[in-house]
Amino acid sequence: MDSLLLNHASRLASAEGGEHTVTIAGVGVYLGVVLIAMFIYLSMAKKGFGQRVFKNFVTGTFEQLYLFLENMAVNTIGSHGRKYVPMLVTFWLVIFFANLVGLFFPLTPTAVVGFNLGMALIVFGYVQYEGARANGVLGHISHFAGPKLPGVLAVLITPIIFCIELVSELMKNVSLTLRLYGNIHGGHQAVEAINHLTEKFYIAAGEFLLPIKLLTVLVQAMIFCLLTCVYLGLVTGHHDDHEHGDGHGEAAHA
Amino acid sequence: MGIIGLGIAAMGVAIGLGLIGYGAMTGMSRQPEAIGKLQTAMIIALAFVELVFLLTVFVGISSAK
Repeated sequence: MDSLLLNHASRLASAEGGEHTVTIAGVGVYLGVVLIAMFIYLSMAKKGFGQRVFKNFVTGTFEQLYLFLENMAVNTIGSHGRKYVPMLVTFWLVIFFANLVGLFFPLTPTAVVGFNLGMALIVFGYVQYEGARANGVLGHISHFAGPKLPGVLAVLITPIIFCIELVSELMKNVSLTLRLYGNIHGGHQAVEAINHLTEKFYIAAGEFLLPIKLLTVLVQAMIFCLLTCVYLGLVTGHHDDHEHGDGHGEAAHA
Repeated sequence: MGIIGLGIAAMGVAIGLGLIGYGAMTGMSRQPEAIGKLQTAMIIALAFVELVFLLTVFVGISSAK
């Protein structure tokens, strides 16, 4: 567990003699930030909305991305999901560019547990905040206790449901963190293993995995946003689609 | 021993992923206008199945050490 949390970045830092050394993951963060800034700058409409803006490739791509995420939010959360789109776009850009850096470097921010855990904690806290705002603090807590049961059953079963729901709520953190970490870090491990197979012939055959890693990059960024949507939808959409009665359906038990 | 366990985990997850893909493909070919919704649900299911494998790997690594 120790090595899992510390990872290569800090080992590299301690190998280079100090806590404050620049690590590859740190450089990856800065590279990702620069790429995001460039992308955002290029996709801004500079001189009004003319024919030129919409035929520009970068602007068009960004619009597609926005529409995709908005569609996802509205489909998953409901009609009030549109206000979460800025957060989703931010998460998508951060994860996508951090993963993209990882295609060309042996280490990226998203292949470090701490970075992913930070993002997962942001999502977790925001979900709790939104749930408390939509249903009230007591309503949000009682939402964990499941449906109202009659008589003795309420005393017997409701505490058990409450504990299980609480654990599954906490597991959301773990699942978000480990999914992203495992996919990106696992991709690196697979590349290293395949390189090791063909190193006698001086061929870096692991780079033939690049297309499938590109797919992983896209899908992981999407899944993170999608699960954020699902979690937000579970806590905020409780009152207006109560007749479905699956406030904590199968998607909650990650 | 750990490698065998990893193989078993990978086998189970591969079967699960195949079933999800099979179901989604069948649904898509029967009802092409539902492709968007099916893809979303399929990817959520894929993520959950994948997570089981990743958890297996982490538990295996941390218990092997």
